[in-house]
Amino acid sequence: MSTISKPKQFGLPRLFPRPMSHYGIWSWVGTVDHKKIGTMYGIVSFFWFIMGGIEALLIRLQLSHAEANIIDPELYNQLFTMHGTTMVFLVVMPLSAAFFNWLIPLQIGARDVAFPRLNALSLWVFVFGSLLMNISWFTGGAPNGGWFGYPPNSTIQFNPGNGMTYWVMGLNVLGVASIAAGLNFIVTIINMRAPGMSFMKMPVFTWMTFITSILIVLALPILGVAGIQMTADRVYGTNFFNSEAGGDPIFWQHIFWLFGHPEVYILILPAMGIVSEILPTFSRKPLFGYSFIIFSGAGIGFMGWFVWSHHMFTVGLGPAANTAFTISTMFIAVPTGVKIFNWMATLWGGSIRLTTAMLFSIGFIAMFTIGGLSGVTHAVSPSDAQQQDTYYIVAHFHYVLFGGAIFAIFAGMFFWWPKFFGYFLSERLGKLSFILMMIGFNLQFAPMHWLGLNGMPRRIYTYADNMGWELSNLAATIGGFTIAIAVASFIVNVIYSMRNKKLAPGDPWDGRTLEWSISSPPPHYNFAKLPEVSHIDDWWYKKYPSLLEGSPKGDLTPKVKVEDTSKVNESDIHLPDLSYYPLFIGIGLSLAALGVMYTYALVTIGLILVFWGSIGWSTEPVNEPGQDHH
Amino acid sequence: MSSDNITVHHGEEINNSTGVSNKKLLMWAFLGSDVMFFGTFIGTFMAYRNKSLNGPYPADTLDIPITTVSTFVLLMSSLGIVLALHYLKESRMGLAKLWLFAVIIMGLIFMGFQVYEFAHFAHIGMTPQVNLFGTTFFTLTSLHGAHVSLGILWLIFLLYNEFNGNLTSDNAVDLEIAGLYWHFVDIVWILIFGLLYLITAGDGVPPGGIPWEGAH
Amino acid sequence: MSFLKDLFEHDGNGWWKIPKTSEAEANPKSEHPFGDFIKRTKAFILWLTSGKGHAGPAYYWVIAIILGVITLVEVWWFEQDGLRYILVPAMLGFSMVKFILVVAFFMHLRFDHKLFSWIFVTCMIIGVFIFSLFILLSAFHGYGN
Repeated sequence: MSTISKPKQFGLPRLFPRPMSHYGIWSWVGTVDHKKIGTMYGIVSFFWFIMGGIEALLIRLQLSHAEANIIDPELYNQLFTMHGTTMVFLVVMPLSAAFFNWLIPLQIGARDVAFPRLNALSLWVFVFGSLLMNISWFTGGAPNGGWFGYPPNSTIQFNPGNGMTYWVMGLNVLGVASIAAGLNFIVTIINMRAPGMSFMKMPVFTWMTFITSILIVLALPILGVAGIQMTADRVYGTNFFNSEAGGDPIFWQHIFWLFGHPEVYILILPAMGIVSEILPTFSRKPLFGYSFIIFSGAGIGFMGWFVWSHHMFTVGLGPAANTAFTISTMFIAVPTGVKIFNWMATLWGGSIRLTTAMLFSIGFIAMFTIGGLSGVTHAVSPSDAQQQDTYYIVAHFHYVLFGGAIFAIFAGMFFWWPKFFGYFLSERLGKLSFILMMIGFNLQFAPMHWLGLNGMPRRIYTYADNMGWELSNLAATIGGFTIAIAVASFIVNVIYSMRNKKLAPGDPWDGRTLEWSISSPPPHYNFAKLPEVSHIDDWWYKKYPSLLEGSPKGDLTPKVKVEDTSKVNESDIHLPDLSYYPLFIGIGLSLAALGVMYTYALVTIGLILVFWGSIGWSTEPVNEPGQDHH
Repeated sequence: MSSDNITVHHGEEINNSTGVSNKKLLMWAFLGSDVMFFGTFIGTFMAYRNKSLNGPYPADTLDIPITTVSTFVLLMSSLGIVLALHYLKESRMGLAKLWLFAVIIMGLIFMGFQVYEFAHFAHIGMTPQVNLFGTTFFTLTSLHGAHVSLGILWLIFLLYNEFNGNLTSDNAVDLEIAGLYWHFVDIVWILIFGLLYLITAGDGVPPGGIPWEGAH
Repeated sequence: MSFLKDLFEHDGNGWWKIPKTSEAEANPKSEHPFGDFIKRTKAFILWLTSGKGHAGPAYYWVIAIILGVITLVEVWWFEQDGLRYILVPAMLGFSMVKFILVVAFFMHLRFDHKLFSWIFVTCMIIGVFIFSLFILLSAFHGYGN
């Protein structure tokens, strides 16, 4: 916590020498560099994306025809629970975090985040937390109570075994990672902006990250409390959700959705930020209504706190509460709609280049609009009574989370890949992925609207053949496998592009924000000279200053070039040395969480690791004395 | 060469946008996060007030005079740490160390009271498992206690550094953020004392509840 | 008909313009029964709490004594059976005063950068609002059904 940064240090005996190499495995394990951390976030969460996808395919296989018996019912419960949990907590959130890590320091013109080691801690806690949750597959069954774990489905009386305990402990550990990352990005964005970059000159993605971080920091503690209460109920026999002792299972729903609704915006706001960067670049126009988009985002972030009970319209809160939450939910559709119109107006009249990133962004707008509109239909509580817990809801949130967040993340990958790694992804294969994904996605999720309105409940194991649900379900299954092919084509694309590198210049897309002003991939110190900012889209107007004078057809020959790093004397730039303490604290936390289920010995070992790591962390000098720093 | 390269010693040391310390900003944001943490627990406690089906009820268990003493000790420890910080900033190290030591002792006394209280409750038959009051009471106070214990460890670490000569007026911000944390734990206790003890201490048998017949 | 003339030609600009007022009219002398007392008290509190040259040990001791006294009043209030019927609002009030005293003076929010106040107050507002709503919803569970 507190770094004593005086030259005189009291030396805690080190168990291992401090990693110093900039190459090899230890340079990754001990790294505090935001770019390497971002890459690792990306790799790990893409791995979980594939795992969650396999879980989804197994679910679709089971539902492909009536009276199917392909998967054991108990395994089916575990699959849909882990599919939801994985996709929300191990895929969309950390994939967004990968973009935060990579982009925020580059976009605000900083050398790193405010607390590099805290950043590494977030990564390792996330990695071990995700492992903790998933080893439950091998230790007597994965969580099986649904991704929001409603009691009594999740209480020990009705759900014995360790599955749901793994789930809550995993969420608690992941919550620590998210809160640490959120705090870090709040401080980074408030305090590390380049000179001249006021809040209203920040790139939109940075703004959305800022709002998302605030939501993370405020919402995840609520999930932590829910997790502690559930753990106490399951492990120590307390009565929070035990109706025999007067406990109220509805409270879990309240507390979970108090967290859960801001969480929805945690998932979608970064995606909106990504799209708001891509559309102006490929339309060669400024974003239409920059401040409108910002304030809509902030408005969503604030109003998102006061709508949670729309997840609970059918529990019987009473007409007064239902009406109030219907109104607040309809209100929150307004800022979201504002953004969609802003994006369309950005496209209007622009000189559009249909790159893969742009295609995915346009796909995002279309799919997200469909998902948003179906969302408004169940904001109305009487209509929601018909739709609650049917496939209509499944269709809705896949349209906003897959058609929204995942489409935007793919767009972001195609857009920033040349910046991150210095080579392009293949546009041809990329467009193939887009077409396959678009077809597969709609084939899978559009029929779910009809299925839901025809009464097919979500999480159902199988169905009779006289329900009229077979064709739509078969279409959805075919769509699911088409998405799998699309994702496979993306992986082929990455491997192919890695082998046949088409090197990227520093500013391949004629970009607008600061990250394009440096070489690709960025040097480890990012900016040799910290930039000075005077406008929104500062890099664009540095390139084309004549555009500032009002004429839309200014002089379009760039006036400045990407920063030349060949003459930089790297010994003048000091960055923090590597540290292995974040790794050990991450391991310790996860061990302690595992020990809650099994033995206090493990808890003790875990906490000793955390304690030792914290002391080592606090007393570790920023740069090891007597070393040649780079 | 290239004199316009800016030398950056450590990411953690740059503050260039607002002029405030990164660490203080981090601590305040963390406290905002902790507000939601304790808020949820206090919310649950209040929502479950008078909902226990069987005893012991608050009126059977809570002992206000003892808790008043421990509350007073924690309040005074808040005074202690603000004085410790003041003297550290003025480089009056003797007083700074003395007050920091006093704060640690007061924190330990507070924890002693809590341990005594928990032991007493367990002795008379109030456990986290026995009813909703026990569940909500023990989770809230023990997590507050966990915060206090963490704070004590942190302050011991800082005191060690004061004796070591590593913590001086130059890096008083390290004590300042620990102080912010300590004050926050204190204000949470202010709320717990007001809401959990004083307001609920008179709550007897709720409608539909079975009167408590004492320990078995 | 002079009022019409006033309406339309006042200040030569037409009736929709608000007529100018003199300094004395805009800020009339206080006619409060206590004269300037309230104003001066406010100024004194502002001077006292701005912490300029005051945030020393003595200052902190005074705050601590106030906190202790409020605690004693709370406990005294709790013991009075006659005051039991307004116990809840009273305790909420006392807790809030103590809370604000510690946050404003011990945690230096009163003297520190406004940013910190913004962060903390925003979190407090969201927290207090949603948890009050939560308690309210659970108290009136199913109200109107």
